[in-house]
Amino acid sequence: MEEARRRAEEALAGIYESVEEGKGFVSFIVPLERLVEAAEALKSAGFDHVKSVTAVDRPKEGVIEVTYHASSYGDPELARGIIGLTVRIPRDNPRMPSLSRIWVSAEFQEREVFEFFGVIFEGHPDLRPILLAPPIAELRPLRKDFVVKEEPVYRGPIQKVEKPP
Amino acid sequence: MAQEEAAAKAASRRGRVYVGNLEQVAKSARKILLGEVKPSAVGKLVDWGTLFSLWPVHFTTSCCGCEFAATWSPRFDAERYGALPWLAPRQTNLIIIEGTVTKKMACALRLVWEQMPHPKFAIAMGACALDGGIFYNSYNIVRPWEIVPVDIYIPGCPPRPEALARAIVELQKLIKEKGLASLWISKGKREDKPTPKLKEDPCSWWRG
Repeated sequence: MEEARRRAEEALAGIYESVEEGKGFVSFIVPLERLVEAAEALKSAGFDHVKSVTAVDRPKEGVIEVTYHASSYGDPELARGIIGLTVRIPRDNPRMPSLSRIWVSAEFQEREVFEFFGVIFEGHPDLRPILLAPPIAELRPLRKDFVVKEEPVYRGPIQKVEKPP
Repeated sequence: MAQEEAAAKAASRRGRVYVGNLEQVAKSARKILLGEVKPSAVGKLVDWGTLFSLWPVHFTTSCCGCEFAATWSPRFDAERYGALPWLAPRQTNLIIIEGTVTKKMACALRLVWEQMPHPKFAIAMGACALDGGIFYNSYNIVRPWEIVPVDIYIPGCPPRPEALARAIVELQKLIKEKGLASLWISKGKREDKPTPKLKEDPCSWWRG
């Protein structure tokens, strides 16, 4: 993990804005216009595939965070770590360049993010819904403003039960 | 003299077959075998035959599939009821819906149901197949009873193999008491449990 982090920091030096850290987890936040550059730098540093592409909807801040988790098959040092590459895009116009040209394994995952969050990946070869049937995918069901029926909760009076003597 | 005449008559009858009125015979045979006398002989035979050859096509969509597999494993051995899991829907007469049915899978469920020959029955297994289970408020599920007419529901999450075996026995009882299989064949449909009409085409996403 440490080696992977050092190599990623070297590759992304000057590109990333900030680093988000957790236990066994590191994610580099890059501006939208330098995303492709950052991805190419990571690819040339030895991160040869994307393990997952995921997104977080933050309606209060008005952004959708899209995170690519990159790792390596070829380099055993890098294979121990997973590096996140995060970009924040505006929620009302969620468009970003597709990274599936750089990492082929991102293609299907980007389709999944597209159908659940409505993020449009420009330059994606085949941007269709992958898991859901198209009428449901148009509702963008993992966005926070998609409301599902909630479990009913009892809100009536509560009777006190006397303890037996 | 009278004896001779009778002997001659008998001799002239020899070698002939009397069939009577063929139409009448056919009508009465039809009455006895198929028709108005209930339960009819052929109907009973059909019911009895269907009882012990309920071959389920299993429609595994979630964890109930493991319990289904366990039911036919040596420990529980549901094959002793004459039920054998079969893969091709065109040679089966029972569908066991194991678990959640998503909107995409509803298309497959309906297609499989329409491919199965008469007489056919359906068992819904597990809480998800009853009313959604833990996915009761999901945007992406349908209830199986909106797609196919379900005869037996098995509650549980997932149900034990004994429960599935009991469901098969209960279905056998149902067929025997109500003569469901012969009704299917004589009428071409189930009048007490018709195939539900679809509100919307579940395969519309696929047909385009």
